[in-house]
Parts: sequence; structure tokens; C-alpha cells
Amino acid sequence: MNPTNPSTLAHDFMQQGCSDDCPIIDTHTHYGPYQGAYLPVMPHEKMCHALRRAGVSKALCSSHEAILGDVDFGNAMTQQAVDREPDLFRGYWVVNPRYSDAMQRLISDYENTRGFVGFKLGPEYHTYPLDGPRYAPALEYANEHKLIVLIHTWGGSAFDSPQQVAAVAERYPEAALLMGHSGFGDFETSVRVARDYEHAYLELTCVYSAHDFSMLPAGSSTPVQLASSLHVNGIIEYMVEHASSKKVVFGTDMPWYSPHFAAGAIMFARIDDEARKDICYRNAQGLLERVRPTSGR
Amino acid sequence: MKKPADTRTMNFFDCNCSYGVPSHPAFRFARTPAELLEEMDWCGIDRGLVYVAGLRYGSPVLWNELTAPDLASQPRLEPTWGILPSQTGEQSPPEQFVTQMKASGVRALWAFPNEHHYRLDGVTFGDLLELLTEKHIPLFVKLNAIALGELMKDFPDLTAVAVNQGPHSLERYLRPLFDTYPNLYLDTSYLLVEGLIEEFCERYGPRRLLFGSAFPDNCSGSALLRLTQAEIDDEAKRAIAGDNLERLLEEVRI
Repeated sequence: MNPTNPSTLAHDFMQQGCSDDCPIIDTHTHYGPYQGAYLPVMPHEKMCHALRRAGVSKALCSSHEAILGDVDFGNAMTQQAVDREPDLFRGYWVVNPRYSDAMQRLISDYENTRGFVGFKLGPEYHTYPLDGPRYAPALEYANEHKLIVLIHTWGGSAFDSPQQVAAVAERYPEAALLMGHSGFGDFETSVRVARDYEHAYLELTCVYSAHDFSMLPAGSSTPVQLASSLHVNGIIEYMVEHASSKKVVFGTDMPWYSPHFAAGAIMFARIDDEARKDICYRNAQGLLERVRPTSGR
Repeated sequence: MKKPADTRTMNFFDCNCSYGVPSHPAFRFARTPAELLEEMDWCGIDRGLVYVAGLRYGSPVLWNELTAPDLASQPRLEPTWGILPSQTGEQSPPEQFVTQMKASGVRALWAFPNEHHYRLDGVTFGDLLELLTEKHIPLFVKLNAIALGELMKDFPDLTAVAVNQGPHSLERYLRPLFDTYPNLYLDTSYLLVEGLIEEFCERYGPRRLLFGSAFPDNCSGSALLRLTQAEIDDEAKRAIAGDNLERLLEEVRI
């Protein structure tokens, strides 16, 4: 049967898998293997194919290895991905505050990259608080250069809660702060942060799926177990109503979550096509236009 | 690249959707069967095999009885019931329970062991699960993969549908089970990870995948667009969209 949803973009995505009128900029992707799960489209060609067939024109990525393993080796992997696919990928430099040597070289290492647009912070994974002093050099630099900073965020976290994003947003008003996973579970606070701080954004990765960690034999796979949240339907409408469509950006964790699964939540949300375009690409495009990608030294 | 199917000719039969009022509601949910139908219409989903929220978050003692009358005037929605151990006297002995199912037009059951605090195994449910196996009654099971493996070891021929298996990729747990138990099925509601539907079809064929939205845990449109755009042929999509569930329900012998 035909959907009663009148959206022409939804119609395009259902019939063609993408829309010429609505490209996608994926602000949250990864690269390379992940230790805790088999990811079928992890190989480079498969990931690029999956992104492109959903109409993804740009994917901002950081390697799993940089976050969960050897940060220097992993950041080099991200560089390889960007070099190999310069039209598709832009890089995030992963900051691991547990390594003081890497932190001392942070700025010079970042400036030596090509095609990077900001930093990826994983406070939960490194069990170090977002508003702690070791992150300050990265955030100060990001603020000075108007970079994009993608932060893993989760409701109730001791390391990267939406409240901690607000504390950082207060100090660094020029950096674009993307709340990865939108502070999952504590969506109300995250939406308030995005509403109150012009440079704070709600990033949608895995927001379109409930998380019941009792269903995962290894739980949340983070050093400290994350809180479950059992229902998410209607979350996109809530974000648009209370923070506006201008404060929401598209993300998938690819090679994890299918761009079509993510797009389905947006295309069938009770919002209009202009809001869908804001979320899918316009907001991210605006952020990318503020940043000059690195070009090495 | 395979051409996407014309979704207007596909019959979507959602195996995992619910209505009703949970204590912690989603931002948008369906209070009534009519509201669930409105959501299905919005997405273009034809039919639903439905559980009422009280069956999961409340007690089947109360809600089994209420589900079928609720849906009697909704031909697009088919009711399901939940199971509890009969040892406590909360649920009728197996033969009587199945007779009650038949009288109410119920052809499929749900098990929520975490919510209702029981072990889904032979010690607790031996007689009932043997009867369900004999009568080909599908049991929808929300259970993590390790406990699911224990269930299937006890009842290898049970028609079991594993639901909500995600959102992470659980292939390292699930593939050994699907390799071993041919009557084990999987709903698509939590197959978020790119490539899982395609590789399942390549390894096992499409007959053991059932379209599920997990509404209102998840947005119906997500699983819908994911399946529609899966890189599998149209025949496989139609089977997953609705034909497989239709077949499972037709095979029920009560």
C-alpha cells in the first residue's frame, strides 16, 4: 500500500534509495575493523559503496583503532582513508587524554594532516571527563579555528553527559560541538543544550534505535556500562520542535548503522521536507563551510 | 547494483509492533489499535502481528484476555499473547492454554523473560514448549543470544523468532545458532548494521527473516526503508516483507 506520508523525499528514498534533492552528509562515521563486532561493510570498498548508494556526499570519519587502540596508528589509518577517498571522506583527529606524549604533539600532528576538519573525543571510552583539563588544548584549538568537535555523549555518563557538554559549550563558543548520539537516553537535557547554545548540535547516530543492553551479552562494550533507553520513536520530532531542525545533524557510525535505517527515521518523522534537508545535509554543510580542511605542512 | 523493488507492490506484514500505554512511553506511540493503524498507514505497512504494551510491561495475566477483543474489529491487526510459567497457577496448563488461544483466534505467542522474571527453558516450560513445537506455534522471543542458545538446545525444533537482536552486530553469537537450528527465525527490527540482511540472505536464504519494526521502541520507517533498499532480489524482499510470516501462521495447527 502507498504511505499516507506526503513527503516527496520519502517517496524518492523508498523508490530509489536516495534523492537528488536531498544529499546526505554523514557527520559520524568510523573506519576499519572493530574488536567487539563483525561489521559486514567494514572493508573500504563496501563501506564507500554503501555510503554512496544512500546519497552520502561527505562522510566525516575516525578509525575505530584510534579510539579503542593505538591512537597514533589509528589516526594514521584515518589519514589513509581520507587520502584514498578525498572526495568522500573528511577526517576527525582522535584525542586520547590518557597519552600525555600524544597530547603534547596534538596540534602539530593535527596540522600535519590532510583533509581533516576537527577532533573526535570519546570521554566514555577513555574514562576521562569531557570538562577535564587534559581536553582543554584540543578544545581551545578547535575554538580558535572553528573546528568541528564530535563528542561521544550518553545520558547519565560520568564522562560525557549533556550537562558536561553544556559546561564545555560555555567555555568554547566558536567550536562546533556535535553531541554524538545526542546524549542518548537523556534526550531532554541534550535538546535543551542544543537549544541554549548556538554552537551545540544533536547528532543522530543510533538515536533511531532503542538500546536495551540486557539484549547484548557483553553489555554496552564500554569500560563503564551505559544506561539503556527502551523507546525512541518520535525523538526526531521532539528535537525539531524544541531545538529546531537547524540543530540536528545526520550520523550513522558507519560501517555500523545503515544509512537507510537512519534515513528511514527522518523520512517518516512527522516533520516537513525542509526540516529533513536541514538534518540530512544543510546544517553539516554550513559547519563544513566554516572550516578549512587541513592541507599538511 | 540491484534495482530497488517497487514498494507499492509489496505486502508489509509487521511481526513486531505494539499499541498500549507503557509506564515510560516513547515520544510518540499508539495508545489504541486505531492509532497504530494510523502509524502503519503513514508508512505504508499493510498488516501487523500485534502485542499490547501491557503484555510486556504489565502482566499477561491481565492483558492476554484483553488483547483479542481489542482487535476483533481490526482485520489488519492480528493478536498475540504472552506466556508465563504454569507452575505458579497464573497461566493455564499447556493443553488448556492452547485451547484458549484457539478460542480467541491467537496463533502466535511472545516470551519476555527479562520483563517477567523467569527462565525460558525445559525445566520451566517443558510441556508447553513441546506442545508449541508439535503444533508449529511460533514463539517470539526477546532474549539475549546466550539464553536463546540454551533455549534452542533444549527445543531444537521449536519455531522460535528471535527479536530485537541488536542494535550492535551480534553475528558472532547468532550465526552458530542459525547454522544449527533451521526453525530459528529472526526479525529485522534491530538489524541496523549495514550488510546484515544481505549476508543473512546469502548464507541462509530469505525464508527465516521476518519484517519487524519494533514500533514504538523504534521508528517504523527505519526498518521499512532498510528492507526496501536492501541489496537482495525482489522475491527475497517480498518473502521478508510479509510472505514468510503469512506462511508461519498458516502452518499453525490448533
